[in-house]
Amino acid sequence: MAKGTNDAQLLIQSLRKAYASTPTSLKIIDLYVVYAVATALIQVAYMAMVGSFPFNSFLSGVLSCVGTAVLAVCLRIQVNKDNKEFKDLPPERAFADFVLCNLVLHLVIMNFLG
Amino acid sequence: MGATSNASPAPLNSALSSFPSLKALKFTTKQQELLIRVSALALIYVLAFVVRLFSVLRYESMIHEFDPYFNYRTTLFLTKNGFSEFWNWFDSESWYPLGRIIGGTLYPGLMVTAALIHRILHFFSFAVHIREVCVLTAPFFASNTTLVAYFFGKEIWDSGAGLVAAALIAICPGYISRSVAGSYDNEGVAIFALLLTFYLFVKAVNTGSLAWSLASAFGYFYMVSAWGGYVFIINLVPLYVLVLLVTGRYSMRLYVAYNCMYVVGMLLAMQIRFVGFQHVQSGEHMAAMGVFFLLQVFYFLDWVKYILNDIKLFHSFLRITLTCAITVGVLALSIGTASGYISPWTGRFYSLLDPTYAKDHIPIIASVSEHQPTAWSSFMFDFHILLFLFPAGLYFCFKRLSDATIFVVMYGLTSMYFAGVMVRLILVAAPAMCLVSSIAVSATVKNLSSLVRAKSKSPQGSGKPLSGSKAAAKASADQSLPFQKNGAIALLLGALYLLCRYAIHCTWVTSEAYSSPSIVLAARGHGGGRVIFDDYREAYYWLRQNTPPDAKVMSWWDYGYQITAMGNRTVIVDNNTWNNTHIATVGRAMSSYEHEAYEIMLSLDVNYVLVVFGGVTGYSSDDINKFLWMVRIGGGVFPVIKEPDYLVNGEFRVDKGAAPKMLNCLMYKLCYYRFGEMTTEYGKPPGYDRVRGVEIGNKDIKLEYLEEAFTTSNWIVRIYKVKPPKNRW
Repeated sequence: MAKGTNDAQLLIQSLRKAYASTPTSLKIIDLYVVYAVATALIQVAYMAMVGSFPFNSFLSGVLSCVGTAVLAVCLRIQVNKDNKEFKDLPPERAFADFVLCNLVLHLVIMNFLG
Repeated sequence: MGATSNASPAPLNSALSSFPSLKALKFTTKQQELLIRVSALALIYVLAFVVRLFSVLRYESMIHEFDPYFNYRTTLFLTKNGFSEFWNWFDSESWYPLGRIIGGTLYPGLMVTAALIHRILHFFSFAVHIREVCVLTAPFFASNTTLVAYFFGKEIWDSGAGLVAAALIAICPGYISRSVAGSYDNEGVAIFALLLTFYLFVKAVNTGSLAWSLASAFGYFYMVSAWGGYVFIINLVPLYVLVLLVTGRYSMRLYVAYNCMYVVGMLLAMQIRFVGFQHVQSGEHMAAMGVFFLLQVFYFLDWVKYILNDIKLFHSFLRITLTCAITVGVLALSIGTASGYISPWTGRFYSLLDPTYAKDHIPIIASVSEHQPTAWSSFMFDFHILLFLFPAGLYFCFKRLSDATIFVVMYGLTSMYFAGVMVRLILVAAPAMCLVSSIAVSATVKNLSSLVRAKSKSPQGSGKPLSGSKAAAKASADQSLPFQKNGAIALLLGALYLLCRYAIHCTWVTSEAYSSPSIVLAARGHGGGRVIFDDYREAYYWLRQNTPPDAKVMSWWDYGYQITAMGNRTVIVDNNTWNNTHIATVGRAMSSYEHEAYEIMLSLDVNYVLVVFGGVTGYSSDDINKFLWMVRIGGGVFPVIKEPDYLVNGEFRVDKGAAPKMLNCLMYKLCYYRFGEMTTEYGKPPGYDRVRGVEIGNKDIKLEYLEEAFTTSNWIVRIYKVKPPKNRW
């Protein structure tokens, strides 16, 4: 059991150390993702308390959070210089795609909100 | 990468030099190739449109079959009343007395598309009637499908394969069957949307761009708005992602492509009222959600592995995460399914996995002729040479495996399975067959023509025997060079011959089998001249002009859409078949004795009864042939109707030896009223039914509660008026 906690501590420490070396821009995107997922969880907890009517509003709220989190992860993937596949993609293009997709996502959410 | 490799401009130049004015137009090879490609595509575009016009030329520009009439009626409503009225339309003219919420129970894609084309044409001052637009929508979208097939083929293989794919799908009978001019049905637009979505998704996976993924989400939205078969996309794409993950071909591009398409596509799809919340609540859509969560976990683990750089620590982390993820996933799925929140697979799609399910449990689905399993002859009829080109194409795909070819192979195999289960789904398999076959054709022709073009090298001492088979056409320099060249030319001619036969077959099939409007029948008369039976429209227009506007018509559900669209009268049941009990009530009325049926008809406020009878003309899709289905569906809800009552020793008969209940039921009486005095064929007694081939049993029919209102000129449609109840004194 002690080995288990020791392992876990070692794991967390090495994770923290490895993460500290990521560039600031990526850390900002990660923060945004965490914020979006937290908002989604808060909404789910609220739905558990008060019930799911109207369902379309609940779905649009949760899906907007999940959607923008996922799009931010895609942006992070495309902007990260360590990814050899996206070497030729200029970061401006990646950001423009991100903005466009978010725009479409939120337009649909606004229609679905009811 | 077209067919021309080192074709010298010499032949073209010599031709050009004889036209001195054209000498200035000396094209480079690349430009020549572009010109050939563009002109070939333009010709294919026009061909796809023109080959579907047989019925417009032979009969007239009209809507065929049954379902398209509903689509036409809703499109008419949309153009007259605007989108908001259409989206919120409650129709009280069908399913009397229940009505139907049309706005929430249809797929609007087709109607909105046709209305949009109509509006654009009117904007440019082409004053066409909406009916012409509806009739020609399907051929127009078939032409667009050939373009998408070209780009898809280019994406999977090269532009040569794209051209062949476009040509093959332009005339493929499997696709033509549901997209002729006049077949104004969802599939005409849906196959275009299907192929477009697949193409955009494969492009997104190949490039890893969010923009392409967004485009494929829009393609998916168009498909969801057009047809219920979108379930195929939402299950095939996650399956494809799973296969890529399992085979280790995953990459960052896959993550970007699938996630954006899934989230945005799902949200867009939920805007269609008919689909509603199915993407999060129905069992058929759970695979996509499961793969979505799996992808998140998978890539998260991948990222952690990358930044940790330590195997042992990562393994412990992996263990923790995996156990958590799997427990949560299994728990959620089991709670959802057990509590009924995640609805199980609906009958329509479940019968694809278990083909015997519908026959035992849902007779309405089993009775539709398009839902029967496919016979080999149908495959041969609809695909011709594609049947053996498909395995050849699979071989080439496996030789040069990439993300795109894996997708096309999976699409081909799954759609072929479903095409084997249900005849109607040959349509979904047609694009896959054409794409895979085009790879075979293009690769073979390219290999053979490079053999033909190979400059003769000095023979080297290699003892490789001549291989004349298609699969082993490698251009190796050996002694038998001239023989090899001849063999290649012979094989090329053989390939050309096969493709010519394909074209001839497709044209013949289109002309003979798939261009009949179904509402107008044609036959050969005694002198060989063509006889046209326009009885359906005759009857509907009689209804329209000779009955009170609020009259209710009872008929079998097949004719409901046509009666509302052309006769403009309220019907009891129609082709939507959303309420099985209501249909069973009508089935019960048709199979009961006249006095029992009269009670049911009074309760439904029926004024007129319409039956279809083919005994005089030999038209075999009439109501007597459908009668046993009426009995089965009616008996499924009302046990008082028992099928054995109508059979004699398990046999369905209408002559003297028929069951007494059969000889006196309402359907029999209405079909054969006054038929006993009619001589239909020379040398046969009066009352000879030309479809069943027997003399009917009960010739002396008296109707007590109905009276004959109208019988069409060839006795195909017969309309009876329900008499009001007698006065009490």
